Formats: sequence, structure tokens, C-alpha cells
Amino acid sequence: MINAVLVFNNAGQPRLTKFYTQLETSVQQRLISEIFTLVANRPSSACNFLPLPPLLANSSKSSTPTTPHNDTPSLVTYRHYATLYFIIISTSTESPLALLDLIQVYVQALDGLFENVCELDLIFNFETLHATLGELIVGGVVVETQLDKVIEGVKAQGAVAKRPVNESKGGMGFAGFGRGDGVWAGR
Amino acid sequence: MESRSGGGGIFSRNNSGNVPTMRGLVSFIADLRNARARELEEKRINKELANIRQKFRDGGLNGYHRKKYVCKLLYIYILGWNVDFGHLEAVNLISATKYSEKQIGYLAVTLFLHEEHELLHLVVNSIRKDLMGHNELNNCLALHAIANVGGREMGEALSGDVHRLLISPASKAFVKKKAALTLLRLYRKYPNIVQNEWAERIISLMDDPDMGVALSVTSLVMALVQDNQEQYKGSYVKAADRLKRIVIDNECAEGYYYYKVPCPWIQVKLLKLLQYYPPPEDSHIRKLIRDSLQKIMDSALEMPKNVQQNNAQNAVLFEAINLVIHLDTEQDLMVQISTRLGKFIASRETNVRYLGLEAMTHLAARSETLDPIKKHQAIIIGSLRDRDISVRRQGLDLLYSMCDPSNAQPIVQELLRYLQSADYAIREEMVLKIAILTEKYATDVQWYVDISLRLIAMAGDHVSDEVWQRVIQIVTNNEELQVYAAQNILQYVKSDCHETLVKIGGYLLGEFGHLIADSKGCSPIEQYLALNAKMRGCPSSTRAIILSCFVKFVNLFPEIKPQLLQTFNAYSHSLDSELQQRACEYLALATMPTDDLLRTVCDEMPPFPERTSALLSRLHQKHATTSDKRTWVIGGKDANADPKEFNLVNQPTGLKRSFTAPISGNATPSGNGTNGVNNLSNDLAGLDMSIDTNKVLKAPNLASAAHLSPDWEIGYNRLLLRTEGVLYEDAQVQIGLRTEYRAQLGCLIFYFTNKSPFPMGSFTTTLDNRSSEHLKTDIKGLPDTLIQPEGQTQQTIMFEAKNVFADPPTIRVSYLAGALQALTLQLPVYLHKYMDAAELSGEDFFKRWKQIGGEPREAQRIFGLVNKNRTMNSEFVRRVVQGFRWGILDGLDPNAKNIVGATVLHTADGKFGCLLRLEPNYDTRMFRITIRATDEAVPPILIKAMEDRLSQGMEGVY
Repeated sequence: MINAVLVFNNAGQPRLTKFYTQLETSVQQRLISEIFTLVANRPSSACNFLPLPPLLANSSKSSTPTTPHNDTPSLVTYRHYATLYFIIISTSTESPLALLDLIQVYVQALDGLFENVCELDLIFNFETLHATLGELIVGGVVVETQLDKVIEGVKAQGAVAKRPVNESKGGMGFAGFGRGDGVWAGR
Repeated sequence: MESRSGGGGIFSRNNSGNVPTMRGLVSFIADLRNARARELEEKRINKELANIRQKFRDGGLNGYHRKKYVCKLLYIYILGWNVDFGHLEAVNLISATKYSEKQIGYLAVTLFLHEEHELLHLVVNSIRKDLMGHNELNNCLALHAIANVGGREMGEALSGDVHRLLISPASKAFVKKKAALTLLRLYRKYPNIVQNEWAERIISLMDDPDMGVALSVTSLVMALVQDNQEQYKGSYVKAADRLKRIVIDNECAEGYYYYKVPCPWIQVKLLKLLQYYPPPEDSHIRKLIRDSLQKIMDSALEMPKNVQQNNAQNAVLFEAINLVIHLDTEQDLMVQISTRLGKFIASRETNVRYLGLEAMTHLAARSETLDPIKKHQAIIIGSLRDRDISVRRQGLDLLYSMCDPSNAQPIVQELLRYLQSADYAIREEMVLKIAILTEKYATDVQWYVDISLRLIAMAGDHVSDEVWQRVIQIVTNNEELQVYAAQNILQYVKSDCHETLVKIGGYLLGEFGHLIADSKGCSPIEQYLALNAKMRGCPSSTRAIILSCFVKFVNLFPEIKPQLLQTFNAYSHSLDSELQQRACEYLALATMPTDDLLRTVCDEMPPFPERTSALLSRLHQKHATTSDKRTWVIGGKDANADPKEFNLVNQPTGLKRSFTAPISGNATPSGNGTNGVNNLSNDLAGLDMSIDTNKVLKAPNLASAAHLSPDWEIGYNRLLLRTEGVLYEDAQVQIGLRTEYRAQLGCLIFYFTNKSPFPMGSFTTTLDNRSSEHLKTDIKGLPDTLIQPEGQTQQTIMFEAKNVFADPPTIRVSYLAGALQALTLQLPVYLHKYMDAAELSGEDFFKRWKQIGGEPREAQRIFGLVNKNRTMNSEFVRRVVQGFRWGILDGLDPNAKNIVGATVLHTADGKFGCLLRLEPNYDTRMFRITIRATDEAVPPILIKAMEDRLSQGMEGVY
């Protein structure tokens, strides 16, 4: 299953943290910063997968409630788009490439919702960010992958708000992270 | 676009009125973005938290303001700050009537609360209300909340409602798919909430025309299958069929093509589901899967330029490869993937290299022979030097898995060489793996000792306790190692070595130092000086070991007793209480008037008891647990034949073992043929381990004869004596049957007709064969899953009589017509269908009749008609006898009313001659029937069916 979906920017600031296995806030933060360090230091030629170091895996296990079904995260799948890292932490039984595709669908859905999405959209509309994720993943399992249905599902909730006027696109140095086939910067 | 009720406002980027922007929130976020330092951010947040706390305390907030403050709290939380108040206010929002407020409330529930949170039972009722309501958006919010925070309590309270949303014909697809995954979450938390009776209905949803529903339900079924393999076995055919329809028939809605690949996610899921079952016995299902796999392989031959398409295609391809490896029966495909994987691990694309190595590790775990992998040994070793640590790790796993006696030494050498430059993050694991391989494949004394000590010398701090302790255990339990090991460790101790080696030295020299005392450079005093020199630099645990070694020296080498006593004396003043106590006790022990006690205490250590290798347990600790069970583990065929690796005593990894003889065949991973056969069943045994046995016993087999539907006998009896006709008919469905028998082969063609004015969905047949030992079934095709009104679909099933069988098979027919409808019918496949009427002369008949003789190869029965309303006449009797496929031999019996018959029963194991004498008494309406056959199993079976039939007489059934 998918244990967590994280989005953070190049400076390591979290923009979305969604855990499907419960963790304390402090553990979450440690996990996020450690994963950021791991991921940010990887060259762009490296693969998109990173086995979660055992130490990290163990530390997060200790705080999950002990149930007969214990899902210990062991794989980090990530993609880097311009200013943002999209990260999925999952168990070893997920198909890594399918998760990679899922990130792509997520980004495309956000792009469809925000018209050339950029980091600012995510900052000011975190509830939309969550709503979109909710159309893709339920309880740590992929529920829908069809782009139009995802977008439609979010729109039906009427949750997409306007970007504040004074925060113009591209100001503050945030470029949109690309759109349309071929120009996807994500890897 | 599906119409959805409710919803806060019209979606618009420029909405000015409908969803008011929360100015306070926007400016708060802007403030934080302008905070250039962490301290400033913290200050601003604390100010806001104080403000919100005050507002909440004052109370009297309207929905809008409450929502705004909760939003701020959420934003603070997302930034990584702990928010420890306001949860109640947040939770209260979910009962708001405004959708936007409710939505924020639910978001807060999923972010702030967890399944054991005390506020949770306050929201159960609100959630239930939203689940039961008619607003689908609210349904979804509620489902989401349960999927995020649902635990046992919620499961017990709400699973019924969730299930209802999943199966109700009124549910929209977007509700259904979320309900499926919510149920999955609840099942994971508390398996008992999924009831046995739900199985058939849930499986039928895998045929849902909506791909999203099918995807979610497949995920749900995949989880259920792992614990209830038998009960959900119907899902196997469904998965194989759906995969084929997507891959070969291109049955995939336009929007579900992801960069030209038809919904890769569901393909991956289906391929995974198929790995939770052993390979199918049924040739048709096998072909379905084989064709799909071949198509996937073929379409992956062209490498698309588009990165996304390439990704998606490979996602499917790699899962297909995993399925091929799992099936292990498709030789053609196996050869293909071996070559394909060889290319992958040398690919320029890092992702492909990574996944190629992983797939090859899977192959090594299951494959009969390691040869196809060994061909690539050089490249695999090269991957240890890949630029990417992820790839290096995979390379390590694969090398570990592909070891066998022929290549263990070079591989271990390579690993040792790589260890020096390996990343710190993986050194400990490497050390473990090298240690395990060294032990497992050691063929001579020197190699084991050399490698183990060198490993510890090199890895130093990365050696876990289990590793050096294991070395001591092995040496202690194997006499032939002791001298060599003692000599070598002494050399290490004399040099500048790692502390772990000193520990081993302390133990081994104390036990076996005397064995080498006569060698050059190993005299008692030299051993003492070497160890004593290390005392100073070592932590106290090591010093304690050395002290214990010295007391053993007192016993072994009386000539150096003064030096030893001096050391004890010095340490009896140690500040470390443990060392002090040891020194004092050893001093006392050594200076006793007699050395009886000393000798007893310092007696040679007994061999260590055999137990699970601590190394393997340690390695397994590292395997993360997942609720989706892995179908294989890293570590070659041995590890997979016995997934828990518990059975180590009987394996060459036991403590006591022969180092002189090369390891015999049974130790080689590519070992003897029986391995492969056992492997599958063992594998399943591994998967089955956590099955709740009660559950399995309870699980009803709805296709079995115990669940026959009312009125099943009408058609059964009709077709028992005929070759074609209607097997079953009601207002909705008609099931026609045509049969043809040739010798031991029988072919049944079913015609399913939808008589209702509505389409039937998820049309499914499940065969249950009680006589599977002697009656072989072969399903030649599957009926269409969707039957339009007036439409018809067919299915052909072959039945081969291997030998004499007693019980006819049964079939379960189920379909969705709003709710799930199902029938269980008995098939008129009875032993007599495999008989051919025989012509015999009177002479022959009597000769054989006598040859066969009486009991046990004869059966006889006397019976009358079942009730007074039935009649019988000679025409009826003759028809029944002929229907049972007897050749009637007229004029043989002196009494013309009696019937004499002969027939030959065909089975794959041989033919059986059968003879009949039937004596009807039309006055008393009684029969006497006598059957003799060349095999004693035949007469009782035939006589039973004939009695059942004849006793019915003429009315009713004919």
C-alpha cells in the first residue's frame, strides 16, 4: 500500500503531507527532512526509486499501532518537477513504475485544475491539493487514474479557489512546472 | 459528465460570490511566506495560534469563521508544526450543512485524528449520517474519513453501510470505487467485518464496466484473496478474463488509455492478483493468461520515445515478468524474459537497470536453474559499482540470491572487495549477507576461517553482534576448524586489529589456545601478551571477555599463572563494577588451595545447541512487513522453498557441518528435480500460514451439491436420458444444454439466454467437481460476462472419465440483475453417459455372466414405484433402459417381459463390460434389477441411478 504522499519544494518546505499510516507529527517531520536529504542529494541521472533506509523504516514502524496487518514502508518513489519534489512512500509490494505514473497523473490533474499550476497554487489551495489526492488515492490504495474523472471529481466539490491577485504568477521566482506533452520537466 | 447533487459552488477561477475567499487565511499565508527566517515564521504562528485559541475560547463563532480558523490550523499543521488544540472545533464542522465547511471539517478529521483518537467516537454518528444520506458528495467525504481513520470501532459500526454503498445498484461509480477501498481499509484493520456471504457479490464487481470501480474492487479482492484463497478463487478466472479483454480485445474506455497504454494500473493489479494463486490447471484459463502475457511482451518490444509511455509500458511489462516467473510453467515465455532481463540490466536507463535487477532476483528466487542468470554474472557484479546507490543495492540482493556452490567463492570475493568502498548505509547488510554466504557455501576449513575473519577485520564497526557470535559458534561446534581458527585469530590480535576481532580472539584462545600452544609464536606467554596488550584500548565488554579468557588460561597454562594473577589484581581495583567483580572472583578462583573448582568451571564449553541461524533472523528482521504478502523473498530458491527459513537445522546452514566434503547435491539451490515440484505447494503453504482456520471451515462452497437450487432435478432428470434439452429455466434465464459423448470423452455445450428485459452483468459460471479424481474437467471457454436482453452466450466444458466415478459435477451460475442472482445445478454427467450399447449373442452373454459371477461384482435391488399414482408399461421400461445406454438383447430371457442388456463403459483407464437383467412385475408394480460388471465399482453406481429413475414410473418426469 501507499504509506504517504509528500510534496516539498527545493528548499525542503513541505507543501503536502499525507500519511496513510498514522505517525506522530514529530516523526513525520523527521521522516520528511530525512527523505528530503536523501532525495535532494541524488543526481538527476539516478533512478526514481530509493529503498527506504532500514533505520528510517524501523523508526516509523515503532510508532504505528501494532495490528496483525502491519504495513512497513520500504520504498521511496519520487519525481522532481521544477521547484517541487513529489514523493510516494510505499511498501515493497507496490509496482514502482505504476507509482511513478500516478505522480504524473497527480501533477497533470493539478495542472488541469489550476491552468498551468505553480507552487503558489499549492500553497494557497492546500484543500484542493488534498481533494485532488483524495480522488486518486483512498486509504493508501489507488482509486482512480483517469485524468478527466479526477478533475471532474474535484470540481464537483467546488473547491478550486482563485489565486490571490497580488501574488502574480512567476513573481517570487516560482515558475510553473510545465505542462503539455513533451515539455514535462518531471523525471 | 455524471451529474452530482450538492456541491458548494460552481467551479470557477473567477468566482466572486459563491465561495468567498477567506481573506484572513490568505493574508496569514502571505505573512508566513514573507517571513524570511524560521524564527519570524514561528513568531507569526504563535501569534496566530494565540489568536485562534482566544476565538475558540470565546465561542459563538459562525460556520464561516470557524472554517477559516480551522483552515489556518491546517496550514500550520502542514508546515510541520504541532497543533494540539482546536480539534473539537474542527470535528464539529463535519456536521455543518454547508459543503465547504463540511469538507474542511473532514479534511481536519483525516489530518488531525488517528484511529485511536478519543474524539473519533464523537464523529461516528455524523459520519453514519453522511454515509446514509442521498448526497453522493457527502457519501464520499464520509467514506474518505473512514478510509483514513477507521479502526475496529468504526468498522463494526459502519462496515454494513460501506458495504451497502459498494453493492447497491443505485450507487454511482464514483461512490462505489471509494466504498471498495474503504472496505479494504476496514478489512485490514479488522478482518472479521467482511462477511463470508459477501464474497460472491464482491467478486462479481470485478466485471464492473467502470474501470475505476474494477480497479478498486480488484485491490479489495487482492487483499481478501490472501487470507481466503479458497473462498475468493472465482476471482482468478475474472482476473484472467479481464486482463485478456483489456490486453487483447482492447476493451478499455478512451480516457483510461494512459499514454496509449490501456489503464496500466489495473493491468498491474490483475497481474499481481494472479500471482497469489498457483498456476491454473484449466487449459483454457492457462491459455488466456499465456496469450495476454505474450501480447504484453510483444507490445513492449517497441520502445516508445515518450518517457511516460515507456514508463507505463514497463510497469505492465515488469509485473508480467513477475507473473511468468511465478507461473514457472511457460517455457517459451521464460526463455524470452531471460534474454529480455539480460538486456535490461545493461540498459542505459537507470530505472530499467534497477527494475531489471529486481526482476532477476525474483527469477533467482524461483527458477529451476540459475544458469540463465549466471550468464550475466559479470554485468551483475559490475552493478555494484553503478553510480546509483539504489541500483547497487539491487545488485547486492541479486548476487546474494544467485549464489550456488559453483560461483560462491568468486562472488564472495567480489563482495568483499566492494565492501571497502560501499556506502555506509548498506555495509551492515552486506556484512550479514557475506557472512551467510560464506557459511552456506564453505567447502574447506581455511576458506571459511579466512573469509570470516577478513570480513570482520574489514567491516569493523558494521559487524552486528550476530555475525561475530556466529563465527564463534561455528568454530566451537566444528573440531576441524579450531586449530586453524585459533592460529589465525592470534595473528590478528597481535596486529593492529578491530575490537570485534579481539572479542573473538578472547573467546577462541580461551577455549582452543592450548591446541596451538606448541606452534611457533603461539606459546602461552605470547597469547597472553597479545591479548593483554589489547586490554587498554577496548571497551569494558571486551575486557570482560579477555578476563574470562585469562581465567581459562590459569587452568590451561599454569606456567603463566603469575602474570595472570597480576592482571586480575590490577582489575580488582577497576572502577567498572562488572570488571572489578570478575577480577575478584577469578582471583579467588585461581588462588584456591585445590584447583578442583577451577577445573570444573573452566571445563571445555559444550557445543552450542542447534538453532535458527541468528544471521538469517537478523536479515529477515530487515524485511519489512506488508499486509500484501510478498509472493517471494530475496535469497534464492532455498529461501523460497521455506519462506521463513526456520527449518535450518536440516539445512547445511546448521552449526555442525562438514567442511571437508564438497556440499552434496541437496544443498545446491539449483538442486534436484523434486525441489521444483514441492516449491509451489510450499509457496502456498507459506502464503496460507496466517489463514484463520475457522474462517476456512465456515466458507461455504456455493457451487457444491450442498447448495442446489430448488427445482434443479427437473432438468437434470430430463437430460439424464437425453443428449440435449433445457437444463433450467425461470423467468429470467434459460439454460440449454447439448451433449456429445465419444468413448471416455464428453462435451457439454451450455446456452445461456437472458429472458429478462434488462442486461445481465458479471455473468459467471463456477464448476464444482466432487469426483475430480476420476472425472477430469476442461473448460474450453468462458461465457460472455454481459448478456443483453434476448441475448445468448455459450460455454463448452469437456468431461473426461478417467475411471469409474460416482458423483456428477455441479455448476454455479451467477449474474447481476440489480442484485446478485445465483443458481446451483447438478449436471447430468453420470457414469452411464460413457457407455455404449453392446450386441451380444445369447451364448456370449451367459458365458460372461458366469465369468463375472456374483458378489462383489454383482449388485441387485428389488423395489417398487414411489407412489400409487405412477404407472409402468413395457414401453416405458425399454425406453429407460435404452436411455441408460444398454443394448437390449431380445429373446435371451425365457420370460419375454424381462429385459437383458449389455453395454461397454469407456474410461481412460480401460473399458468395462456390464451386463443387466431387469425383471419388471407389471401386476405388483415391482422391479428386480441385477447388474454385473467387470469392475466391482460399477454395478452399485448404475443400479442407483436406474432405481431412482424406474421407481418414478411414468407420470411427472416423462
